[in-house]
Amino acid sequence: MWFIRFVTSSIGKKLIMGTTGLLLFLFLCTHAAGNATIYMSSEVFQSYADELHSHPLIVMVFSLVIFVLFVVHAGLGIFLFLENRRDPGCRYAVNTRVVSNSLASRTMPYSGLFILLFVLVHVFGFTFGPEHVPISETVKVMLSGFFYGLFYIISFIILAIHLSHGFWSMLQTFGLNHPRYNVLIARLTYILPAFFLLLFGGIPLYFMSGAGASF
Amino acid sequence: MSSIDLTLQIWRQKNNDSLGHLETYFLQGIHTDMSFLEMLDVLNEKLTKEGKDPVTFDHDCREGICGMCGAVVNGVAHGPEKEITLCQLHMRNFRSGDTLVIEPFRSKAFPIRKDLMVDRSALDRIIQSGGYVSVNTGGTPDGNSLPIPSSVAELAMDAAACIGCGACVASCPNGAAMLFTSAKISQLCLLPQGQPERKRRALAMVETMDKEGFGNCTNFRECEAVCPKSISIRNIARLNREFLVASLLEG
Repeated sequence: MWFIRFVTSSIGKKLIMGTTGLLLFLFLCTHAAGNATIYMSSEVFQSYADELHSHPLIVMVFSLVIFVLFVVHAGLGIFLFLENRRDPGCRYAVNTRVVSNSLASRTMPYSGLFILLFVLVHVFGFTFGPEHVPISETVKVMLSGFFYGLFYIISFIILAIHLSHGFWSMLQTFGLNHPRYNVLIARLTYILPAFFLLLFGGIPLYFMSGAGASF
Repeated sequence: MSSIDLTLQIWRQKNNDSLGHLETYFLQGIHTDMSFLEMLDVLNEKLTKEGKDPVTFDHDCREGICGMCGAVVNGVAHGPEKEITLCQLHMRNFRSGDTLVIEPFRSKAFPIRKDLMVDRSALDRIIQSGGYVSVNTGGTPDGNSLPIPSSVAELAMDAAACIGCGACVASCPNGAAMLFTSAKISQLCLLPQGQPERKRRALAMVETMDKEGFGNCTNFRECEAVCPKSISIRNIARLNREFLVASLLEG
């Protein structure tokens, strides 16, 4: 069947990685928009969280979709990683990379696995966190902790590295490569992750530095 | 004309079934105007005179257009100079006292025949599965009967520059043959003559590519960087589009 053939082909798998990656990226955008309310005040953030959770069905459907996206993206990524490793990785006595900035592309599976670990810690810390405590309080308590906050900041740096290859790579996989847009794409692939790093990474910094003491 | 002394570490392997190893040779007085293959010729002459087995390597035109030669020099396919094949690499790129590690193009799909010679017929089988047009062309058509915009003709020509040397596969950390396959698909799908079989071609060539044991493309861009004909990964983007459309609409 055409669908099986598509999914089992090398390009098909790449396109699934790209599509799930794009959807996760869009989720990150909505998450960032929600979290930006933290910078306003605890009341604004709390009312946003309350409003969101007053629609349990939407939250459930949304969470389920994102869960599936994560499973497919991470599962297929690990599968591709193992499949590609069957080709002797250190096949040459001398390994020279000609492409100058290959840190992000070389570390995609590892940065991806670290993000998976972060997501697990994050979900168990907040989504399934202490009940009967307002979420704004949990955020403040958790992220004020030095090691917890540091772990978050490191995670966001790794996420930015992952995205700096992922964003461009996704568009290339979708077939978007044209001299007219390549410069823009090459810039966006650094600007967008940097934006997320500032927005998300600023939150633990906000609490750790004491600036959010009156939150 | 100056000359240099070199230490060579060359991969020696009897055949595909035997284990290979790096062997060290010392060469003195190599003229810097020699090509890389001429330097290997000098080594082989020396080995022959000593009654030893000369190093086997592929070569043909020695002017960078046939795609027959190729080896990995110090970890880079076709050596350190950009946009040339191994035969066009000259010894002036090296200094006296340099150690050169020379290894064959490695891939799961390229069995080693002997020393630096690998079997790249997997690439031929990708072509055989669809890299052609099978329309009856008849007599020579009238000059302007098939209008092709010059920009399109240029893109097709850029893709057609691929000589099928296999450096893209050798340099890819995953051993993918995407740059080769995309160049072959691009040169045909851009031109009107390639349209009738366009979708079938994309499906068949990708299927053969996967079956031959080439890896998955993860956009490392190493292929583009070592390609002697500077084939752009824009072709890979085009192949991705071609394959997606063909998957959705054909078969």
